Parts: sequence; structure tokens; C-alpha cells
Amino acid sequence: MNNIAVKSDMQSADTTSPNSTSIVIDEVFPHRAEVLWKAITNGDLMGRWMMKPAGFEPVVGNRFTFRTAPAGAWDGTIRCEVLEVAPLERFAFAWRGGDEANVGYGSKLDTVVTFTLHRVQTGTRLRMEHSGFVLPKNDTAYTNMGKGWVKCVETLGSVAGEQS
Amino acid sequence: MIEATPVSAVMRALADPTRRAVFERVVSAEEITVAELTRGSGVTQGAISQHLRSLKQAGLVIERPEGRNVYYRAQPDGLLPLVDWMTHYSAFWRDNFDRLRAVLKDIDP
Repeated sequence: MNNIAVKSDMQSADTTSPNSTSIVIDEVFPHRAEVLWKAITNGDLMGRWMMKPAGFEPVVGNRFTFRTAPAGAWDGTIRCEVLEVAPLERFAFAWRGGDEANVGYGSKLDTVVTFTLHRVQTGTRLRMEHSGFVLPKNDTAYTNMGKGWVKCVETLGSVAGEQS
Repeated sequence: MIEATPVSAVMRALADPTRRAVFERVVSAEEITVAELTRGSGVTQGAISQHLRSLKQAGLVIERPEGRNVYYRAQPDGLLPLVDWMTHYSAFWRDNFDRLRAVLKDIDP
């Protein structure tokens, strides 16, 4: 039911070039495109399934924020900017946050979230791509991860189970 | 619809709890032999060797033969696909989609 993918253009362990990775979810909802469009571009409705945006308007250039858990030098604010509004088709915004000094959760992010809608027989297909995750190039980040990685691997294990 | 083989390979290798435990010990030990890993683990040396082979195939550990011993250490690059913020965001969007489904049902029954 729940189609989630981690898409990566990483070809090798070459650490000289940045590797960018996306999270993709693609699902069909038994609703008209108009209903889905409203759910993803109305601030109050966004707050009910994603996070409550502050200062949001579905207009290109609009800047808004989400408040999440702080981490290290980062206050937890996600700074967004509306990049594209094509009614009933596509809605994209920049998603920036984190801090250079953080590793893992709270690390520096300069990403883009894109929603694409397609009408299908049974309703509307919604594809979400959160792109631009750049994998850290510094290997010591991994050797220093210590025991923290265990929890992340457990979560991944359950994700892998769903996919097989 | 996983498109990146390294990610799924690593995920598969670490989905097994025993193998995960073996990997964790390799990570925390810096360098360790099969015999040391077997001691007090409750599983046979053969089983440990099998897990190490799987971890090696997934690029998570590397081995260094020295005399009669083989030393294993964690391959830092191996965890490259497993960055925890990717996990965080994958889970975040999965939950979001579940909630979106409920909201849609509510506003458009």
C-alpha cells in the first residue's frame, strides 16, 4: 500500500563529489484532484497531516516556516519558500534547515519538496519527492556514530520488511 | 520500488537482529577476531563467520588477515546509505501520507 523509496544517484563510494538522494512516496488516493490540491496547499489542512506552517500562502516566492525539534546549534526552524504552484498539477517548495555542525538529525539541509498530481481512474495519484539530501562526505561522521546508528537501522529494517 | 541497490543491500544485511548485533560489536571493538566475537555470544563460530561474510558482502565490514588470525573492522563507507536523517525523513513522510489519507476521508467522505 505504502510505496516509499529512497532514490539515490550515488554510484560509488567516491567521496569527492556530493551524492544527492531523494525520498519518494507515490500513492493513489480515492479522491478528486481538487480535494487533494486543497489538502496540500491549504495551511490549516497542511497542519493536520504534515506540520502547521507559519506565514504560508500558495504563491510563488512566499516564505514560510515549520517548527520542529531543535538539534545542537539549530533551533529546529525549517525555512521554506514556494517554488512552483501549478494548480491541480504541481506544488513545490524549498525546505532548508539544520546546521553545519550537526551530524544526523539536524544536519544542514537545502532540499526541495515536490508534490505532483495525476488523475487516475480510481482517484488521484500523488507523488511526493523530497530531493537534495546530500550525503556527508566526511567518513569520520560514520565512525563516530557510535550506538546511535542502531535505532536508525532498526527503523530501516522495518521499512525493508514492508518493501519485500 | 527501491532504486538504489546499496541502500537495500545494507538494509537487508542489517535486518537480521543477530547480524546487527555482530556488526555493532565490530563497530565498537575497532578490530576484532571471529573467536572474540563468538565468545559469550551464544552462537557458534560458524554462524558468526556466516554473518561476517554477509556483512562483508554488503560492504559493512572489512577483514585484515594477520598470521593465523583474521581481524574484522567496520567499513565506514558501508553506512553511507544509512544516514539517520534519511531514516528520519522517510518515516516522517510515510506517517504524513497516512495522516493525509485520514484527513482526505474526513473532508471528502
